[in-house]
Amino acid sequence: MSTLTMDRPGMAADAALRARVRDFYDAYYDALDDVRLEEWPDFFTAECLYRVVPRENHERGYMLCTMQAESRGMLQDRVTGLLKTQMYAPRYYRRFPGPLRVTAGTDGIRARHNLLMVQTLIDQQPNIVLCGVCHDRLVEDAERLRLAERVVVFDSEMIANSLIYPA
Amino acid sequence: MSTASSPASRDVTQQDRPAPKRWTGDGTSQVPYWVYSDEETYRRELERIWYGPHWLYCALEAEIPKVGDFKTTILGEKPVIVVRSAEDEISVVENRCAHRGVKFCQSRSGHTKDLLCPYHQWAYDLRGELIGVPFRRGVRRQGGMPADFDTAKHGLRRLRVEVVNGVVWATFSDDTPPFREYLGEKFWKHYTRVYDGRKLEVLGYNRQHIPGNWKLMMENIKDPYHAGLLHVFFVTFGLFRADQKSAVDIDETGRHGILISRKGAQEVNDVTADMRNFQGDLKLADPRILDVVNEFPGDETVGMITIFPSVILQQQVNSLTTRQIVPTGAGGFDFHWTHWCYADDTPEMKLRRTRQANLFGPAGFVSADDGEVIEMCQQGFAASPDAEALVTMGGHDIAPTDHMVTETAIRGMYRYWREVMGL
Repeated sequence: MSTLTMDRPGMAADAALRARVRDFYDAYYDALDDVRLEEWPDFFTAECLYRVVPRENHERGYMLCTMQAESRGMLQDRVTGLLKTQMYAPRYYRRFPGPLRVTAGTDGIRARHNLLMVQTLIDQQPNIVLCGVCHDRLVEDAERLRLAERVVVFDSEMIANSLIYPA
Repeated sequence: MSTASSPASRDVTQQDRPAPKRWTGDGTSQVPYWVYSDEETYRRELERIWYGPHWLYCALEAEIPKVGDFKTTILGEKPVIVVRSAEDEISVVENRCAHRGVKFCQSRSGHTKDLLCPYHQWAYDLRGELIGVPFRRGVRRQGGMPADFDTAKHGLRRLRVEVVNGVVWATFSDDTPPFREYLGEKFWKHYTRVYDGRKLEVLGYNRQHIPGNWKLMMENIKDPYHAGLLHVFFVTFGLFRADQKSAVDIDETGRHGILISRKGAQEVNDVTADMRNFQGDLKLADPRILDVVNEFPGDETVGMITIFPSVILQQQVNSLTTRQIVPTGAGGFDFHWTHWCYADDTPEMKLRRTRQANLFGPAGFVSADDGEVIEMCQQGFAASPDAEALVTMGGHDIAPTDHMVTETAIRGMYRYWREVMGL
């Protein structure tokens, strides 16, 4: 796959694209941190792949994910579960993405960044619920950028009880 | 807690410890909350249950296919190494150097020729026999081990092992009966329905720490009453419901149990009227998660087995897992999920199993409910050790039933628990 690194100065298009990608993630994490869950699936294409996977599975080539969706519909079903069928204690999640590494390829834009998710349960100290790296692929889709693929590989394999909200 | 007069070198025995609290009532229809929180009770559980005459789940054989392949795990609170020591032999040894007690193997899994402690380079073969002690005869005639030092007496502690239809079991005790006898004939049948001798393959792992007593996880899978109420996803989509043809079976001792059920349809009826949060009109946007194939003999689509004390063997539609329990004190346990498939599954079947895995694990549509509710149980128990849990659904009997409105399997487990604990 031929890639064009986007961090060469003086390329206006690159800078504009990087700004768009940044704006995309600002909006993405903003929606999740504010628990506007119904907006979440729209950040993805209809035929997307979403995986939240323990590092040990990822490195050993195992298919199994902690959360997996093969379509925007499955992401919507995740939201339905969170809003209508699942039972969990109230909590806040806050996501801290690290610096973006953006490269453009023939099949879209590759974006990689670290992600720290901090969870705070009522009456408890905050703790790290997820620490990992996101391997994303974004494409132009109906006038906006959307995620065609998002693979969140997390180091924090012993999850502090439950992983409720998405990464 | 050793007494002041006891020599420091002696192992602390149960006699030296304060007695656990006494269970004063009869039967097991009321379970005092201190069984979930009392540290002395937990210490006795480690000695009499985890290190006593019980088989503990270690691994799937498929995790260590080649000689020299190993994985580490924890049985009770003791770290062990599970290693294929010969073509047709699996050894389970304590992950604790015989010299200074180092937990020397820190990898989760790998491949090795021998077992080496980095501290002083003591080396053991794959069966745990001591094969190398550097400077054993000293250096230039100085120092070294005493003349009577016998390497044969300083190997790693080996556990008894049985490999049964692709699953590795180990026990610390010489008194544990053979595995099949430990299950009993009825549960041997339940076990071999899914673990039928076909080769297994690992799909991947999930791990979570649940801040609740380890017995609550056993109880959860011995309690079909909650499954049709707490798990709205199950009920809504007909995967597990109180009005479906079901059964609870327990072995003669009461320690092992199985919940058996069969899938129905999404429907509204007099049973769902009892559920305040039933979502009768809920639709999935992408229902492929419910694409279920009948693959086992008979009409049953669910078989959830609890093998006391260490593991849950899950068959729920096409999702197959072992869920290993590792206690970490009275108030918590680590929960290790190994999702697997049959080695000869089609790629389509493997995908189906991983898709249905969204129901399970720490982010599962269903299983996340369980982790959450177990934590909430522990929060409720902690401050009221002398209050009691009611376990009277289905009466006071301890017997197999052909419905799921019962807590009989929980009563059965505590009857056995009281016997083995002497409480």
